[in-house]
Amino acid sequence: MAANNTEYSSKSYYEKANASYKSRKRFAQIIICVILTFVSLLVLYPLVYTVSAAFTPGNSVSALSIIPFGNGVTTDHFTKLFTQTNYLLWFRNTIIIAIGTSASTVIVCSLAAYIFSRFRFAFKKHMMMALLVLQIFPSFIGMVSIYVILMRIGGLDTLWGMILIYLAGNIPYNTWLVKSYMDSIPKSLDEAARIDGASNATTFFKIVLPQAKPIITFLAITSFTGPWMEFIFSKLILRSNEKMTLALGLYAFVSDKKNEFTDFCAGSILIAIPFIIFFIITQKMLVTSLGGAAVKE
Amino acid sequence: MAKELVARDGSSKKKVLVTSVIFMGLSHMIWLKQYVKGAFFALIEILMLIFSPKIVTAIKNLITLGDPHPELPIKQRDNSLFMMIDGFIVLALIFVFVLIYIISVRSALKEYKSYCTNGRFESNKNVISNLADNAFPVVGLIPMIILVLFLVVVPLLFSAAVAFTDYSSPDHIAPNNTINWVGLENFKALFGGDATWTGAFGRVAVWTVVWAFFATLTCYAGGMVMAVIFNESKLKITPMFRSICILPYAVPTVVTMLVWQNLLNGSFGTINRTLIALGLMDSSTVIPWLSDPSFAKFTCILINLWAGFPYFMLLTMGTMTSINPDIFEAAKIDGANSVQTFFHITLPNIVYQTAPLIIMSFTHNINNFGAIFFLTGGNPKVADSTVTYAKGTDIIVTWIYNLTINMQKYNYAAVLAVCIFIVLAPFAIWNFKNTKSFKDGEM
Repeated sequence: MAANNTEYSSKSYYEKANASYKSRKRFAQIIICVILTFVSLLVLYPLVYTVSAAFTPGNSVSALSIIPFGNGVTTDHFTKLFTQTNYLLWFRNTIIIAIGTSASTVIVCSLAAYIFSRFRFAFKKHMMMALLVLQIFPSFIGMVSIYVILMRIGGLDTLWGMILIYLAGNIPYNTWLVKSYMDSIPKSLDEAARIDGASNATTFFKIVLPQAKPIITFLAITSFTGPWMEFIFSKLILRSNEKMTLALGLYAFVSDKKNEFTDFCAGSILIAIPFIIFFIITQKMLVTSLGGAAVKE
Repeated sequence: MAKELVARDGSSKKKVLVTSVIFMGLSHMIWLKQYVKGAFFALIEILMLIFSPKIVTAIKNLITLGDPHPELPIKQRDNSLFMMIDGFIVLALIFVFVLIYIISVRSALKEYKSYCTNGRFESNKNVISNLADNAFPVVGLIPMIILVLFLVVVPLLFSAAVAFTDYSSPDHIAPNNTINWVGLENFKALFGGDATWTGAFGRVAVWTVVWAFFATLTCYAGGMVMAVIFNESKLKITPMFRSICILPYAVPTVVTMLVWQNLLNGSFGTINRTLIALGLMDSSTVIPWLSDPSFAKFTCILINLWAGFPYFMLLTMGTMTSINPDIFEAAKIDGANSVQTFFHITLPNIVYQTAPLIIMSFTHNINNFGAIFFLTGGNPKVADSTVTYAKGTDIIVTWIYNLTINMQKYNYAAVLAVCIFIVLAPFAIWNFKNTKSFKDGEM
């Protein structure tokens, strides 16, 4: 009888524990849900206002309703962008610079990274070290002499001049990045190719590059998005209206002289939307490549 | 068989060395029968000799920086700025020339050594057929070297050198006036000589470090907390929340910071007006988000957290998936609960794997121009701002920008750049020593 009793009570204890465990788990999920909702609201707050401002009649922030879309909806700002400003021209210039920078960075950096990863030559260590020290400086520290050097080679107020600056600024860090990745690709593969009589160039294009595809994709994306909103050099180098980029055009909307916040928002979301769609689609890849970057070193 | 010119027992080493030092490529051609290689080296030296008068002039100009000629029209006066930059370009070329010289001497000695052991010279035919393949590393690196040398190294050297000149508005701007070397004058002025400038420098330097520290710490902690929450969340709509949370990373910083600047405006910004409408505060006591020097600093760190946590969140999530799941199984069998598992397994693993990136993020924040410039523009103004142009939330890089663009105090901006170098170089070297290839001794 006594034994029976104990058995019974222990069973009830187990059930109770299980129930409390379950309810605790549910409670934890509710807390998580509350936190996530709260954080999401904080994250969305300025973004929602940006979108609402883009559709709000009028120009200044002070007139903006504190409730999103509280002043009615208009598409005037978008019409204005395409009719009264050179938005499409800015867009064209920016995309030329971005594609040029991305393509040239991939070519120059992956080639240099391959050479650093696979060849032994004089002063290699010194060069790697120099690149590492150079990458800590933001390029604009040398802007006075970059300006003069571009002037010498006729690169002022040209798109290729901008591409050249961004490319040079990208090299030190990205060469390291790609080299570290290529170090992790087994050398036996390209050695086998070389034994089969492949030249260095063939080995590079046919064997190493395909293997390094993830990091090359990452490099292509980051060097494409980088120039998109770069401001300092655009302002320094590009002077004429025909060469304006999006960053310059949009910044002018909210600079000291005029406050056309709503136009700025309209122009900004047109750029932000493709970026957002792209990032949401590729977030899985971002997680692995960022995680991979952390594990690698 | 013709008598060989150099002995095989290694006794001609001195002869080979001396000849190769006298003229680049000479010993390749005379002793080692490497005519193609030798001619290539010789050509470089001949080019250098042809341009030597120009090189000497450039170096002389770099030393004197020209003489003032107030009597001449501006176009004909000595332009110290161009003289300096040309001087550094020439110095870079000489540096490359010296390196090639060293390579040529080494190559000659190597060829001689291989002759001593093999007893024959590599035939020129072989050399040419191998040339395409041997030249690959050299040709492949040339674009990188040229770009880095002339668009990164020379500009940075120039900037460093300006720290030792009086290149500044209004009296020493080329081409109207010459620039002069002044030794350590600028450093003295910023480090104690001039009370206003020293004060501003101290203030900005301290804030830069404080900013970088808290900006990194908050984003790291925030990102990790969010990653853990996402990891624990069993909700069906988790992917939606995750997509929302990476939005700040997806939207360009310039856009988000400028939007925040307008939302946070003291009198007409949406945030303060919302708080008033909700009855949380009075319109006479609005929160000085960006107008009070101390509060604006807090705002900077807060908004940077908004913009920066997604990066660390993605990073931590990536790291979490890479932890070996067996460890968790083992911990579960040993009876560890989820809190213990987190603090003893997950957290140490994440911290260990992301440590180098924390350091990198710190150096990135020291140089985080966009977050400050587009959010506050360095504002609000403080007492010495009219003289020094250093405002309440300016960090060193934004101050450099102001000094260069708005005040044309290139000399002081250069001193600040040198400071950044001195502070950040150890981090870069530490990072270098921690890379896998360095540890494996591959270099």
